[in-house]
Amino acid sequence: MTTAAEPSAAGTGTDSLAVTDLTVHYGGVCAVRSVALSVAPGESMGIIGSNGAGKTSTLKALMGLVPRSSGRITLGDTDLSKVRARDMVRHGVGYVPEGRHVFPGLSVEKNLLLGAYCRSWKGETRDTLAHVYDLFPILRDFRGRAAGDLSGGQQQMLAIGRALMSRPRLLLLDEPSMGLSPKLIENVLDILVRLRSEGLGLLLVEQNAKLTFGVTSHCLVMENGSVAMSGTSEELAHDERVRQIYLGL
Amino acid sequence: MQVTLQTLVGGLSLGAIYALIAVGFSVVYRTMGLVNFAHADVAMIGAYAASTFYLTTHVSFVLAIIISIVVTGIIGLVIERVLRPLENKDFDLMLIGTIGFGTVLQAAATLIWGTTGRAMPSPISSGPLDIMGIRIRTYDLMVIAVTAACVVLLTLFLQRTKPGAAMQAVAMDHEAATAVGIHVGRSNALAFAIGAGIAALAGGLAGPMLYVDATLGSALGVKGFAAAMLGGFGSIPGAVVGGLAIGVLDSYAGDHFQGYSVLVTFLVFTVAIMIRPTGIFGERTVSRA
Amino acid sequence: MSILTSKPALILLGCVAAYLLPYGLNSYSMHVVDIAIIFALLAIGMGLVMGVAGQINLAQVAFFGVGAYTTAILTTHSGFGFWTAAIVGLAATVLVGLLVGLPALRMQSHYLGIVTLGLALGFVNWITNAEITGGADGISGIPVPPFFGIDLADEYLYYYLEIVVFGLALAFGTFVVRTRLGRRLRAMRDDALAAGAMGAEIPLLRMTAFMLASVYGGAAGILYAGLIRYVAPETFSLGNMFLLLAMVIIGGRRSLIGCVVGAVGLVLIREALVDFAVYAQLGYGIVVVLMVVFAPTGLAGIPRRVREAVGRRRKNDDVRSAELGPYLPGPAPAAQVPESGADSGPALEISHLTKRFGALTALDDVTLTVRQGEIRGIVGPNGSGKTTLFNVISGLYRPSAGQVSGVGRDISRARPYQLSLAGMARTFQNLRLFSQMTVRENILVVLDRSRTSTVWQYAVWPVGVLSNEHRLQAEADRVLKEYGLTAFADAHPQSLPYGIQRRIEIARAMAGRPSLLLLDEPAAGLNGEEVGQLSSIVRSIRDQGVTVVLIEHNMGLVMSLCERITVLAAGSVIAEGSPAEVAATPEVIEAYLGDSAPADIPVHAAPEVP
Repeated sequence: MTTAAEPSAAGTGTDSLAVTDLTVHYGGVCAVRSVALSVAPGESMGIIGSNGAGKTSTLKALMGLVPRSSGRITLGDTDLSKVRARDMVRHGVGYVPEGRHVFPGLSVEKNLLLGAYCRSWKGETRDTLAHVYDLFPILRDFRGRAAGDLSGGQQQMLAIGRALMSRPRLLLLDEPSMGLSPKLIENVLDILVRLRSEGLGLLLVEQNAKLTFGVTSHCLVMENGSVAMSGTSEELAHDERVRQIYLGL
Repeated sequence: MQVTLQTLVGGLSLGAIYALIAVGFSVVYRTMGLVNFAHADVAMIGAYAASTFYLTTHVSFVLAIIISIVVTGIIGLVIERVLRPLENKDFDLMLIGTIGFGTVLQAAATLIWGTTGRAMPSPISSGPLDIMGIRIRTYDLMVIAVTAACVVLLTLFLQRTKPGAAMQAVAMDHEAATAVGIHVGRSNALAFAIGAGIAALAGGLAGPMLYVDATLGSALGVKGFAAAMLGGFGSIPGAVVGGLAIGVLDSYAGDHFQGYSVLVTFLVFTVAIMIRPTGIFGERTVSRA
Repeated sequence: MSILTSKPALILLGCVAAYLLPYGLNSYSMHVVDIAIIFALLAIGMGLVMGVAGQINLAQVAFFGVGAYTTAILTTHSGFGFWTAAIVGLAATVLVGLLVGLPALRMQSHYLGIVTLGLALGFVNWITNAEITGGADGISGIPVPPFFGIDLADEYLYYYLEIVVFGLALAFGTFVVRTRLGRRLRAMRDDALAAGAMGAEIPLLRMTAFMLASVYGGAAGILYAGLIRYVAPETFSLGNMFLLLAMVIIGGRRSLIGCVVGAVGLVLIREALVDFAVYAQLGYGIVVVLMVVFAPTGLAGIPRRVREAVGRRRKNDDVRSAELGPYLPGPAPAAQVPESGADSGPALEISHLTKRFGALTALDDVTLTVRQGEIRGIVGPNGSGKTTLFNVISGLYRPSAGQVSGVGRDISRARPYQLSLAGMARTFQNLRLFSQMTVRENILVVLDRSRTSTVWQYAVWPVGVLSNEHRLQAEADRVLKEYGLTAFADAHPQSLPYGIQRRIEIARAMAGRPSLLLLDEPAAGLNGEEVGQLSSIVRSIRDQGVTVVLIEHNMGLVMSLCERITVLAAGSVIAEGSPAEVAATPEVIEAYLGDSAPADIPVHAAPEVP
């Protein structure tokens, strides 16, 4: 495989992500309108909003999984605007898709190893694997099992673990709480807090506002494809408009 | 009893060919969701190419088959490239498109090799073995052995190697595969080349068993597809079991119904597939409505 | 544009041309034309089953063979008269058609392709080997069909017999396509799942499609037997099957005229290139591949594609510039609709409903009751099982445990079409409009409340179909007007803005005059103004006596519109009550905001708690 840009050790978080003027059209519909955001080194950022607000589209456009109508993306000194989706991981961007999207027919361990597709499967990758297993002991227990046979919560852990296997500098997460029970959501929250404390940059798209506020330092609130509000998570957690958008009061 | 066993052995060797066709077909299907109706015509080209090199340039049988695998691999890549816009979008159109390709390949074969066809001598000269009163042609044994080796190698490739794992990942979720850095297009092309190569192997092996002409494809194809379906579309073990089942069914039908063997085979197949549309090893649902 | 009488001048011209054609042909050309007409008949049948109904049928050439061989066998072996044999032949073909169609009940697309191809191969194998079919030599000596003293051995005169049959067959095919059966077939082709939910009986429709194809195949076979008076396996080979497929694809499988053009064109080209048969095969193979990739709707579809391409460039296209009309509430509530909450039973009652997919439990012991005439909101985070709940209610999924009753009975195991005909209607989260049909046709599919089994009318009393058609068209005008869609009646849904497509979905659901309406995220993708319109439409629908259940993420809409709200989370009901009650429930705040402690976020006290 190509050895483009050997990623730096996980969690140095010395590079900031900057996105300007990100716009996405599906057919004639504008799904994301001129979104700008920046994640400073070692910081983490949340995007919240109701269904259809354009959160997932924003993340997918960032990843290059949907075509962008416009937008400039940089991570540190690297311009990622023209980088293909499959090469994002080589520049240190890990992605946890909405709805988990593990490879259902492959074993847990094979799923994790595929997360390290761009690295050699020997040597250091073994250490990363051990690290991921330490983070999610349940995955170690089930490593021979087909990923499709795991419960929703376990699949979520696998999806996060798979993304960590590439030793990313920045982790994009799309609704890790989706379909999980409150107890499992608590679990995911703990893990994200731990990753953050290890210095990994996070960009988290969520419907669950508390989870997001608990993990991130800054948040955007999206509505109809645009950024409606932004601020520190602390401020937004006490803002009444957030509540209105959510509960429609 | 001996007659029955004799039929079984005959069915297994032909079944091994169907199994190879089905395996090649399944590799392509499971990776990119492309239903390649021209697959068997690719096998026919493989058979012609192998026999041509074997008979005219007097290279060894193995080398002849390797050359034909390369030739068909290229044809496979062309088919994939042309029909790529339809992949994972419109199954019906893709199916018709590959039927069109099949027609083109048949016409091309007729133009290159003429309409008369050819019989290919068996590359193994030793006489049939006699085991407990059952006569087994050594070539049949070789076909079964080569098929087994091919399936084992393919399984090892898919399970033990990185490109193999990547190929399976692409089959299961191409977006997630992209996100972990897999080049989906390259992986698909590799799958298609492997599928076409296995088709050529099947065609080359079938050469000495069947008469090689432009219609060899349709003869092998429909039964190969039926085998893939009976085993469960996209499943490698399913393709093997389905192939052997169709081969044995064919062989028994040939013994008991002579001229109507094809009709009987397909009636039994249709009933079987209606009872279990997902096939023996099939997991995917067929149609919800 | 009314049925069959469209462009009467063109039809008249066609008749005159068809009448005069033999005068300009030598006997060989006449023979070629006779063959071309037979292939055209076959192609119409193929177009009906594949293009109109969307069923892959690679056994059409076997239907052709059954018709021809039955006629041949009965006239030469059993001493039947030609026309008696022909009638038996047609019946035999229909029977075979229904048998070949049976697998379509269980599988679709490429699966169906392989099965039908296998059966066709089996048929060729049988006629090549059976004694009664004369083996590879075939059957010769089929008598000339007697016809009121006209000598049909003369290919010029036979042409007139063929052209009359062909004309009737084309007219009947067009009649089917443009009336209610054809609309249901096309709806099934575009989206079988949605068609089922709109009242189409999918299994019966699939069998009907194969029956139609076999009638055309059988008729072509009989005419072939009468023309050539000799049948042999080669005519019914897979090679000819693929040629037939090429005709339909090149001509345009969705247009019967296209199929005819493709058939006649390829037969003529094949004759012209008879000395270069292999090159011809190479040529049509390549053309099929190119067509499939670049012009999937064939020659017949090219005018529309050109029109659309031009329309896209022109900014002020009629349809695009047209405004969505205002919603004009329909007639006053019908008398039989019970007063809301009166002594009648609930509109929908779900008790202890559980739905599992493998190891995943999507719905866990859900119980809820919706009163008659209520607007009920169902909310919950993504993945909480809302759409699964709708799919179970509307019969797309069978419950793993528990009961659902509605529209006056237990519907736990009812099929979607039964529920639709019984008065349940739904919309889909990601819009399942029939994309290859106009807006008017989308509405017409649902307006037609007849059982599919009434297709016998087409064979026995087409006038009944026609008079019913006038009634349906008038009603369609009313529905289009009511929902402000008149300006878009003849447009295809995909070409319209998203907001209008959403409106069409509601209009289509309401066209069936349901008593229970399920709306799955009706406001998704709508702008503020459109959400306001939606709100008044839903209220007005309720005022007509219809019970409405809606899934929605737009909480503003849900809170203002719904009388009661049920909250789902992780497959279970976590709260139910009035909007204000629900919004104050800690579990709901937890599920939505992830926080149950009101201290974190100042609670905006619900103002008008009763």
